[in-house]
Amino acid sequence: MPQYTAPLRDINFVLKDVLNSDKHFASLASREEVSEDLMDAIISEGAKFSENVLSPLNQVGDQQGCTWSESGVTTPEGFKEAYQQYAEGGWPSMTANPQFGGQGLPNSLGLVVTEMVSSACWAWGMYTGLSQSAARLLEVYASDELQETYLEKMTSGTWGGTMCLTESHCGSDLGLLRTKAEMNADGSYNVTGTKIFISGGEHDMMENIIHLVLARVEGAPSGTKGISLFVVPKFLPDENGDVGERNGVHCGSIEHKMGIKASATCVMNFDSAKGFLVGEENRGLNAMFHMMNSARLGTALQGLSAGEASFQGALEYARDRLQMRSLSGPKNPDGPADPLIVHADVRRMLLTQKAFAEGSRAFIYWVAQLVDTFYFSGDEQARRDAEELSELLTPIAKAFVTETGLESANYGMQVFGGHGFISEWGMEQIVRDLRISTLYEGTTGIQALDLLGRKVMGSGGKQLMVFTKIIHQFCKEQKDKPGMAPFVEKLAELNAEWGDITAKLGEKAMSNADEVGAASVDYLMYSGYVSLAYMWARMASVALDGDADDAFLKAKVQTAQFYYQRLLPRTESHKLAMLNGADSVMAMPEEAFAF
Amino acid sequence: MPEYKAPLRDMQFVLHEVFKAENLWQTMPAMEEVNRELADAILEEGAKINESLVAPLSQPGHEEGVKWTDGVVTTPKGYPGAFRQLAEGGWGGLSGAPEYGGQTMPKMLVLLFEEMLYSSNIAMGLYLTLTSGAALAISSHATDELKTKFLPNMYSGKWAGAMCLTESHAGTDLGMIRTKAEPLADGSYSITGTKIFITGGDHDLTENIIHLVLAKLPDAPAGSKGISLFLVPKMKVDDDGNSGENNGVHCGSIEHKMGINASATCVMNFDGAQGYLVGEINRGLQGMFTMMNYERLSVGIQGLSAAEAAYQWSSIYARERLQSRAPSGPVNSAGAADPIIVHPDVRRMLLTQKAYVEAGRAFAVYVGKQLDESKFGSGDVKAKAEGMVELLTPIAKAFLTDKGLEGTVAGQQVFGGHGYIREWGMEQLVRDVRISQIYEGTNGIQALDLMGRKIAANGAQNLNVLIAEMREFATSAASVSGMDEFLLPLNEAVDNLESLSEFVLAQAQAGDANAIGAASVEFLHVMGFTLYTYMWAMMTRTVLSGESDQGEAFGQAKLHTARFFIQRLLPQAKGLSESIRNGSASLMDIPEEAFA
Repeated sequence: MPQYTAPLRDINFVLKDVLNSDKHFASLASREEVSEDLMDAIISEGAKFSENVLSPLNQVGDQQGCTWSESGVTTPEGFKEAYQQYAEGGWPSMTANPQFGGQGLPNSLGLVVTEMVSSACWAWGMYTGLSQSAARLLEVYASDELQETYLEKMTSGTWGGTMCLTESHCGSDLGLLRTKAEMNADGSYNVTGTKIFISGGEHDMMENIIHLVLARVEGAPSGTKGISLFVVPKFLPDENGDVGERNGVHCGSIEHKMGIKASATCVMNFDSAKGFLVGEENRGLNAMFHMMNSARLGTALQGLSAGEASFQGALEYARDRLQMRSLSGPKNPDGPADPLIVHADVRRMLLTQKAFAEGSRAFIYWVAQLVDTFYFSGDEQARRDAEELSELLTPIAKAFVTETGLESANYGMQVFGGHGFISEWGMEQIVRDLRISTLYEGTTGIQALDLLGRKVMGSGGKQLMVFTKIIHQFCKEQKDKPGMAPFVEKLAELNAEWGDITAKLGEKAMSNADEVGAASVDYLMYSGYVSLAYMWARMASVALDGDADDAFLKAKVQTAQFYYQRLLPRTESHKLAMLNGADSVMAMPEEAFAF
Repeated sequence: MPEYKAPLRDMQFVLHEVFKAENLWQTMPAMEEVNRELADAILEEGAKINESLVAPLSQPGHEEGVKWTDGVVTTPKGYPGAFRQLAEGGWGGLSGAPEYGGQTMPKMLVLLFEEMLYSSNIAMGLYLTLTSGAALAISSHATDELKTKFLPNMYSGKWAGAMCLTESHAGTDLGMIRTKAEPLADGSYSITGTKIFITGGDHDLTENIIHLVLAKLPDAPAGSKGISLFLVPKMKVDDDGNSGENNGVHCGSIEHKMGINASATCVMNFDGAQGYLVGEINRGLQGMFTMMNYERLSVGIQGLSAAEAAYQWSSIYARERLQSRAPSGPVNSAGAADPIIVHPDVRRMLLTQKAYVEAGRAFAVYVGKQLDESKFGSGDVKAKAEGMVELLTPIAKAFLTDKGLEGTVAGQQVFGGHGYIREWGMEQLVRDVRISQIYEGTNGIQALDLMGRKIAANGAQNLNVLIAEMREFATSAASVSGMDEFLLPLNEAVDNLESLSEFVLAQAQAGDANAIGAASVEFLHVMGFTLYTYMWAMMTRTVLSGESDQGEAFGQAKLHTARFFIQRLLPQAKGLSESIRNGSASLMDIPEEAFA
């Protein structure tokens, strides 16, 4: 099992040198100040916790999995203790509202810690991550009374939280959901129904679990316009705000899955459970959607963090394992063979992993800054721009980073040869754990529809133009800088092409409603490659400004070259495929699929 | 978990209508007795036994796995009985030599049985196909005495076989193996050493297991030129052919793996085990290579098989699962939502699977045809086929398995969250197929073999023969009305393949030692896409020229799927080619230390 080491040099490079985190933090009016010392301390402590406490739990968690019994769900050995340590360290409250005991730090900083936690043990991180997402939703949408009742305990991490959306007959199509909510005389509701695929729906790591449940109030309109959101605690708080009477919420079973075995995926039965309305009746999806952007960015992180972990494991192995001689002559003449890393194709796999991990890190951290700006900047125009841009980029980040993360994790396994397939080496677990990321929080297909249908076409191309203008401006500024020409030329070309493709698809879509769906995933992948090309050009530019002898900075420029020369050509394939249109996708009759 | 249904109709379309197998068999004296009727009977019986006996054991086997207790390996419930039934049905000896009880069926046909077997249950299938593989190596290289003693019981499935190559420090690089073989007075050898990753190294399916073991004689030259091949039975066999006491062959442990849980992956300890030389001393790898072409195609078929199962199940799910409305308006107004097959992106995933599976099946049969011609043919036909086998085998292994993983992942994706849950069976397909990209030579090794040994080493001689064949086909098919939309892209793809190989070879000749390694995997994929375009063109020609009896709807579906392949998948060759043309520098310039 590879031991995780936090990539601190790269994290610092991206945050400080590429994304100017000091200026960014200073621009956030309603967040606590972040000095460089504080930032360094948080990152290095987060790294230690991830490396020393969480990384060793990862394989144990996979082997033991969660255990269900009538009385509840038991998490693997060490999970609960690690969580206690985490909560005592104050980590859950990092980015929470100070009004409820939070530390008020920017989300983009919290995300760095989440990346490290996720690389070390994704399944463990889900419990705290989902709890904090639920708390953030309540901070925005719940009544003062609900906030006072729940948020302090959730912020400190004493209580956890979940999101209960899916039912067995409705996943992507939430309009079909059936869970009912009946109003009681005291203004509360009785919630009845069964939810499936509820991550952390039941476990032993926290003393109470606060479920956020989508349900229909009696007489609500059908479809998505009749869905309301409720707080349904596992234990109802008593008059002192502590754990009181058990509510009618029970875990009926847990799923047996391909991976993330240490994360309890629960069937949750709500049997006249007492619930409390969050926000307005029938407006539940709006609250959920609002939060979904951050949840989606969190899921994008899974692609990055697994890709990083897999890269670390594969790199170490490729430098240790001796097998065959280099085609250009022995590189380790004293040994029986050369290390794998001398072989061009092994390098191709490793560089693909490296280019995706580092490019995705820069991309996600940047989107996280935009989300910060949207929530907390004092500058109204900056807020609006950040909103547009983060809405555009979130589905790209979610789907592109998880899809390429899966490719990367498979390469990591491939570098190990036969050992990659063997459980004890840990590489196959990374693939199995990561595989869920292109499915949950909206499948890749759903993200792609959101991007092309709702965001790009829905705004008449306006949202896309916010980004293409930024790239255009960047290219203009950088074109004469020594060393930047190869990057800038290609990036400018793709940037213009992106607009052209969008216009063409828009035209096609006017005469054929299926064009958007037929082009969507290719469009999303295309957009992802261009977005990462932008991030790589920015990183190369910063690296070129630095000390020419600094091996790290040199490697940055070389990895950027690899990305441009060997991965970016994939845009051409996606372009041709999507512009070939919907006909070949739609023409075949349904029955013919059975041949 | 859904049921598997053998795609007999498409198999018959490919075998009889596209490749006209019967005509071919009639030209081969050894195949005289094989005709369409017999072939169809074999396919139908094969479908029955796989659908009803082998497939239902797949999921329970995945859950139960193989157990190792004090050196004894136990397969999951039902496996020994099912293996016995397969053996008794003669399925283990399908392609065996007739003088020892084999049935000498053509590979073109046998591989379709293998496809069904693996679609039903890769783990179970491996026990049978590795036995056939070991038998093939014995029949090609062993003495008559060894053949007489071992082959009949292997064909009949009374005994199983295993291939013992890998050691913990030597996987890809077999030159480093350490297992020793010391000559004994009676002409046999005493074998000592430890092998790992031995599929079916030990199990409870048969009374004996015949291991083929690579080992070195005490005075053997270093490296791959000092490796010999030995037949080492688990239980000693007396002169009457009865299995007796243990021969110093023991399973030290089994691996815990990502998938194929019902297949025993063993650490095998040979402790002074008595072995018999197969072939010549120090020529053991050559003995392996003949068999390897068959084995590699067989592993490729695992990719095809898993993708076929994934396609079947996800296309059924997509027609049943109701979720959201079609973009162009409801098509199932009476229902709560439309079946997800109305959504363009779901169709894209299904058609991707279908297009790869059907081209993959045709390609596998095409490679099987080359194997048959090289074994049973004569003259120029045989010579050409031998070259094609060399050229195409690494593509069959790597491209079919890479597309196999892609197909199973797409199938899993169609299921949404349910794809991740074990009971639905989709995640098992992904896990079981993943090993096929790794074993029998990783796909990176296949690509090096293709670009280096099979193309560069002979100045692209075999590649040029293939290119000429494809161009000739395009010329001759041009008279069939409606073929333009398939032949134009084929010609373009062939031109690109030609210029791309010229580019890489020129780089290599100009002194770039890494040119081949840096291009190899992407080149293999470009070639795979080109060959699939060729397969689609052949299939559409068969339909458009009226040579298929599968009916109008079947033919139309072929044309639709071909169009999808050309328009939506083939463009990938463009990006891959561009990446290759950008050269090796960006892979090699970065110093090793800088990766960290």
